[in-house]
Amino acid sequence: MLESMAGLYSDYTARTILLGAVSLGIVSGVVGSYAVIRKQSLVGDVMSHAALPGIVLAFIIMGAKEQLPIFIGAALSAVLAVLLINLVTNNSRIKTDSAMGIALSVFFALGLVLLTYVQRMPDANQAGLDKFLFGQAEALVEKDVLIIGLTGFFAILIVGLFWKEFKLLCFDPDFGGTMGFSMKFLDVLITAVIVSAIVIGLQTVGVVLMSSMLIAPAVAARQWTGSMGSMVILAALIATVSGITGVAFSAGFENVPTGPAVIICVSLIAFFSILFSPNGFLTLKFRDAKNMRKIKKNYVLMALYDLGLEHADLGYAHSERLLILGSKKGFNVRKSLLELENAGYVERAGDGNWRLTQSGIREVTDISPMEKVHESTSV
Amino acid sequence: MSGIEKNPLIPAIRVTDLTVAYGDKTVLWDIDLEIPRGSMVAVVGPNGAGKTTLIKSIQGLIPRVAGVVSIHGKSYQKQRKEVSYVPQRGSVDWDFPTSVVDTVKMGSYGDLGWIRRPGRKEHEKALGALEKVDMLEFSNRQISQLSGGQQQRVFLARALVQSASVYLLDEPFQGVDATTEKAIVRILKELVAGGKTVLSVHHDLNTVSEYYERIAILNVGLVASGRVDEVFNSENLMKAYGGKTSFFPERKSTRRAV
Amino acid sequence: MSPHQFDIQLVAIIVAASCSIPGAFLVLRRMSMMADAISHSILLGIILVFFLVRDLSSPLLIIGAAASGILAISLIEAVNRSRLVKKDASIGIVFPFLFSVAVILLSKYARNVHIDTHSVLLGELAFAPFNRFIISGTDIGPKSAYIMGSIFLLNLLFVSFFYKELKVSTFDESFASSIGFRPRLIHYLLMAVVSVTCVGAFDAVGSILVIALIVIPPCCAYLLTDSLSKMIFLSVVFGITAAVSGFWVANLIDVNIAGSMASLCGLFFLAVFLFAPKRGFLAIIREKRRQKMAFAEASLLVSLYNQEMGKTVKNHPDSREMFQSGDLISKVVGFLKRKGEIAVKGEKIFLTEKGREKARITMENQ
Repeated sequence: MLESMAGLYSDYTARTILLGAVSLGIVSGVVGSYAVIRKQSLVGDVMSHAALPGIVLAFIIMGAKEQLPIFIGAALSAVLAVLLINLVTNNSRIKTDSAMGIALSVFFALGLVLLTYVQRMPDANQAGLDKFLFGQAEALVEKDVLIIGLTGFFAILIVGLFWKEFKLLCFDPDFGGTMGFSMKFLDVLITAVIVSAIVIGLQTVGVVLMSSMLIAPAVAARQWTGSMGSMVILAALIATVSGITGVAFSAGFENVPTGPAVIICVSLIAFFSILFSPNGFLTLKFRDAKNMRKIKKNYVLMALYDLGLEHADLGYAHSERLLILGSKKGFNVRKSLLELENAGYVERAGDGNWRLTQSGIREVTDISPMEKVHESTSV
Repeated sequence: MSGIEKNPLIPAIRVTDLTVAYGDKTVLWDIDLEIPRGSMVAVVGPNGAGKTTLIKSIQGLIPRVAGVVSIHGKSYQKQRKEVSYVPQRGSVDWDFPTSVVDTVKMGSYGDLGWIRRPGRKEHEKALGALEKVDMLEFSNRQISQLSGGQQQRVFLARALVQSASVYLLDEPFQGVDATTEKAIVRILKELVAGGKTVLSVHHDLNTVSEYYERIAILNVGLVASGRVDEVFNSENLMKAYGGKTSFFPERKSTRRAV
Repeated sequence: MSPHQFDIQLVAIIVAASCSIPGAFLVLRRMSMMADAISHSILLGIILVFFLVRDLSSPLLIIGAAASGILAISLIEAVNRSRLVKKDASIGIVFPFLFSVAVILLSKYARNVHIDTHSVLLGELAFAPFNRFIISGTDIGPKSAYIMGSIFLLNLLFVSFFYKELKVSTFDESFASSIGFRPRLIHYLLMAVVSVTCVGAFDAVGSILVIALIVIPPCCAYLLTDSLSKMIFLSVVFGITAAVSGFWVANLIDVNIAGSMASLCGLFFLAVFLFAPKRGFLAIIREKRRQKMAFAEASLLVSLYNQEMGKTVKNHPDSREMFQSGDLISKVVGFLKRKGEIAVKGEKIFLTEKGREKARITMENQ
């Protein structure tokens, strides 16, 4: 792995490829953050699939594998798909998810039909087109990287220039509208930025998996930060690291296509973040369990307190059975009692009886708002 | 064994120590509530007070941390057929391809159980329920063509088909026209007059006294419950609506001498 | 039609019909993109089981694939339920991952077997007839027709047995669980059925185009009918039609069959979307225009009537001010004149008796 990395650096073509992976990583991290925040993740999926007929058509019209026309063709057909989705959902009972499924599959099908048609053209070097399905970074040449870099540069420039406006668009478009910004214009602009990010990723990652290159870094970054600025930077970083690792894997091992290799890296980072970030799944699970225990303990304490009130003696000892029956809590009262005993709030009074300690009584009165509720309702 | 307890002292719904939490947020805290048979009860409280959660957790649709619910003295599981539920109208997709009468027929699915299909008897029953809510002429209409009020009547008809003894309604007057609101109140009052029990999440405090005899005022904890003329007063409403909710168990506040 | 062509069409028809049945419920449950997730994820199951049994025709492949479909759904729901990731992004990070693992395994370790990355995307419908089902020396047809036929039967049985349960839990999930049905169980059963269907269809049309067969026919039907059973029936009809016509178009211009079937699905949807009698785009536009006209007519009549009754205004007002667009008013005036509800003298407009009556009715109804 390290060797293959080192090998890459020494090599001129390898530098080209790495440069491509880095610029792609930065762009997809930054732009993908917007796609995820705006809940447009799957739109990215649709757009990358929908780019295929544009790519093939551009090839048919230009008759050669020219980078720029292919980019333009891809972008146009991706945008057309989005426009059609909007047309259908705004004018019929078809919901967005179905409209997306339709656009994705039909555009992709048209692309495949065109592709099989191209295969039959006499002098077609269609091998180059096949790469767009799963991506092949090895095929990148200097000119490709230049276009990737330039397109990416403009995409990021736009994000930088319209930083505050895009923020409004993502978080509160209605408010943004009242501030005098044209939300429609910004919407078009951000869609254009997303489309250009997808288009430049197609050759490296491929139409099938490009959407994930946008989504996964942003999802991963979102787990660690709440601010848009640091999210964008972190996502770019994650995407870049995954891009480099994926490219290295693909170059270092035989028969490993670049796209899937990159996607596996970036997905693993995303899953790790979802599980283990400070607000992550496992972290929260742990916190929830703690909170549940606390609620249950408070219950037992209050039950003892209530029973004590009835006996006009807060330190009155009650049997565990009574607590279980009387409370009908439906949970393990014993476990809570043992925990409370450890905390010094209750103590055993022999014969399986329990009573509140002084500090237990203080603890109950500390949870007092509930206690008031208790008084007003149990009467 | 299900059925209504003969003893009239046993309440239609009894909720004991009900606590529900989503993650680390407590939504309902230690609710003790008794709904006497044959009463019409409003559940009121500010947004996020747990009104819908109460209705849902009575039916076990939401897991509870603690607490017991009994319907006519027996567990909900045994009495499922005694309870009929009218969810919020906005919770379903009214573009669903089905007709009014078919929607109402869904009320009989519970009795039919798995796999058996509704037949003529269920159809007649559905038509009967539609007649009660004044929607008979719409029985073959597609549900996508109904107004908000008509949708709510269809939901009520579906509940009537269940021929239960306890009705749980979630905001039945949300976004309906005045005529429908009157009609629904009339039907609910008829049910109550016939010994049924109605528990309804209600939003409009102005109509509480007119529609209901009893009320439960909720804000995470139960603020008050009882007869409308006794507990529906500004003091209790202030407790529920004024100020911030202060019922979270983990929050420690006002120390009180014992 | 050669026997070979017949066989291809037979398989295509069964595939399309099988996809349409569970597809109707996916569309109604707003889970169309789940088909995307499932159809990609099953590849992993197919490949892992293939490594175990080394036989591409083993029925275990179907089970493995269905299991990985369910795995994908459960993962997506787990990620989504954690409330850390939105629904769409949950879908978007789970299935590309599973698919990537599958593609790498495929291209690294299974280079020479029949499943390669190309057929994953395109399917191999044209080869379907070569794999024959032979019982004691007698050729009884293409194997895939039998496999797909069983899947079709499974789908049909599933939907007819659980029709009522599927219907109520799709329409109103919380009501369904309140009457004792188990919507989660139904949900996972449906997902299992979709997975199995995808596996069968995958062989024929590949992992992306199967989405077209699952989602598009039900969407066409959804725009044409308001009854669930008719919707299912119609989507089967649409699916079959697309399969047959897609085959012949592919034959005619010599392109990939699956691609052509999916493209025709798209074409059908376009036609239905535009021309559906009540819910089509054109019908909606026509209805909007009709409402606008009806409103304009009514307001012109009522305003004329009010001015007649008011008496203070001269009997022949110029109502042009009422409308912002002169175009619309001349249209409305022409229309009402033809209906005999108003009369025009020079620049002035009068109500006829008929028009007066209509204005009165309009006002009463308001």
